[in-house]
Amino acid sequence: MDERDYSDFEREEEDESTSNVLKDRFRLSVIKIAEAEGKKNNMEVSEQVMGCISDLAFKFSEQLAKDLELFAQHAGRKSVNMDDVILSAHRNEHLASSLRLYSSELKGKEPQPEKKRKKTSKKEGKTPSAALHIS
Amino acid sequence: MDTDGTDLIHAIFKLVWNRKSIERERNEGTDNLDSEVGAGTSKKNRSTTANANALKMSSELLRLFVAEAVQRAATISDAEGASKIEATHLERILPQLLLDF
Repeated sequence: MDERDYSDFEREEEDESTSNVLKDRFRLSVIKIAEAEGKKNNMEVSEQVMGCISDLAFKFSEQLAKDLELFAQHAGRKSVNMDDVILSAHRNEHLASSLRLYSSELKGKEPQPEKKRKKTSKKEGKTPSAALHIS
Repeated sequence: MDTDGTDLIHAIFKLVWNRKSIERERNEGTDNLDSEVGAGTSKKNRSTTANANALKMSSELLRLFVAEAVQRAATISDAEGASKIEATHLERILPQLLLDF
């Protein structure tokens, strides 16, 4: 019993440390995106807001992971696919339709399984218009 | 999120799913009614996986979330004549943002 508690404790600690590393990496990505987005609107983004947004987005991604797992399991699958992701956005029609568009784009690219850097730049050029205004 | 974002998302998802499968393992045998993922659904407690396109879409979804947050906050701070997005601006748009995602 003691041994098990100990290993649990160790595992939790490890879990926490990987989660912290991921959080930091995540924050970097968020800062990159937010800065690009801010530049477009000629706005600076304060440090505090960056922190808030990256925390929010991290929580959102954890919640998303749980949702996707449930959706996949409900469909009797072990693997999450694109439909599950679309389903996770079903509350917001605009969001769902823009994801659907994105998924058909991805499907179109499928013949060439090698993803190249070029495509990313192409995508980044295009996505600004895909951002939604739903307030 | 760009290409390296996909790996990151995968790592986060894996972390959450592993955490859950460990939990499931621990609860095995005991009747756990609070677990949403029913004990009967999986005999093998292998944790969930995701295909590459689903991960790309998830990172796109998160990218949209961040972009949307910044854009809405920018609108508010623009209306107030500020040149920097501050926490108060984020506060104003937060409730609707969370409802929309």
